[in-house]
Amino acid sequence: MKIEVTVNGHVYERDIAEHWTLLRFLRESVGLTGTKEGCAAGECGACTVFLNGKTVNSCLVLAAEADLGSVDTIEGEAKGGELSTIQAAFSRNHAVQCGFCTGGMILSARDLLSRAPKPSVAEIKVAIEGNLCRCTGYQQIIEAVLDASGQLTTANKGELKYV
Amino acid sequence: MTAGFSYRSPVLREELLDLLAEHGASARVLAGGTDVMIDMRAGFAHPKVVVDLKKVEGFSRISWSPSDGLIIRPAVTINDVISNAKIRQSYPLLVECARDLASHQIRNRATVIGNVVNASPCADMSPALLCLGASAVLSSKEGQRVVPFREFFTGVKRTVLGVGEILEEIVVPPESADARGAYRKLKRIKGHDLGIVGVAAMNNDGVLSLGISSCGPTPLLVDGLSARDPVDVAVAAARDAIHPIDDLRCSREYRAHMVEVFVRRVFQEVA
Repeated sequence: MKIEVTVNGHVYERDIAEHWTLLRFLRESVGLTGTKEGCAAGECGACTVFLNGKTVNSCLVLAAEADLGSVDTIEGEAKGGELSTIQAAFSRNHAVQCGFCTGGMILSARDLLSRAPKPSVAEIKVAIEGNLCRCTGYQQIIEAVLDASGQLTTANKGELKYV
Repeated sequence: MTAGFSYRSPVLREELLDLLAEHGASARVLAGGTDVMIDMRAGFAHPKVVVDLKKVEGFSRISWSPSDGLIIRPAVTINDVISNAKIRQSYPLLVECARDLASHQIRNRATVIGNVVNASPCADMSPALLCLGASAVLSSKEGQRVVPFREFFTGVKRTVLGVGEILEEIVVPPESADARGAYRKLKRIKGHDLGIVGVAAMNNDGVLSLGISSCGPTPLLVDGLSARDPVDVAVAAARDAIHPIDDLRCSREYRAHMVEVFVRRVFQEVA
């Protein structure tokens, strides 16, 4: 079937099989491989993207459901070669080890900061509960989100107090 | 993923019911997809036609009136419930259970009706709906019928829903508005996880009901209790109602023990 999806502001018209997931469409048809497949069951969040402004697990959405919709992926995060505030905070705070969870993690963080510009540690934990980091870098990820929201100080950094 | 199905997304209710009548058991309704997609990928479901109901007019609406109570329709998501002002004010038990369901991404997609229709014994929304005395309006091309939730579940992943029939409305009666509620769920981790045992309680002017998950083939309702009786009465009634099993997540004895612990905790909170 033919679908038309706006991805990171560009319109893509593609012919896809009806059983294709949104994740497969993004990776194999559009060619954006920053969105990852981890568990393929809605547990790990590596495939997190924004669909019509809400974060979803793209492994659990049919590409057909996104027809005439709008998708934002991790590739749309940096603008003009400049890292976004959240990306820069992840980099500064060593919140990336293998990087597999990072795309989803950053999009979940962006979603949280759009709802709560100064989130508490408890709110950050709830917001990323659907994003697993198997390098277990949660301490640094939580610090990065605190940093991106202007809340990280020498007093609350680096004591493994958030995990 | 099961290949070879066709995808349909009707915008009219009649079109939806016609499609389901036409394709019968070879059709599968798609709402949030958080169970259906997993079933199809795992090979548990092999539909010929996947019928997406999210675009049907009016299906994302939540409504409330003093005469009809709260009505939740098929495309209403878990996060829609959490952010709805009327539900937060008058049915806080639904919000509490909704917050405990999976992760933010799943809550953006999963629907209340999908959670119920999937009929998992550990579903988060079912114990609350049982406590609140909710009913299901079932619709097909032939017409409508109303089934109270206490008669809706018939086994593990089984309900009274017939072929070609959808659960079109969850109706929560106005009488249970503003009742006190509480929910406790046992999980392996603090973050998102399936429940090992869940207990919801409602105290509506002294009348106490308990909804219990993962302790039988269906979610269980223990009602007709009094919040003025000692908590041991509620504990004994819960103990009589449950018949938990051993499985890979927990032993039968531990489930029974935790039901008792949770009944005491929710009782304290609502009594």
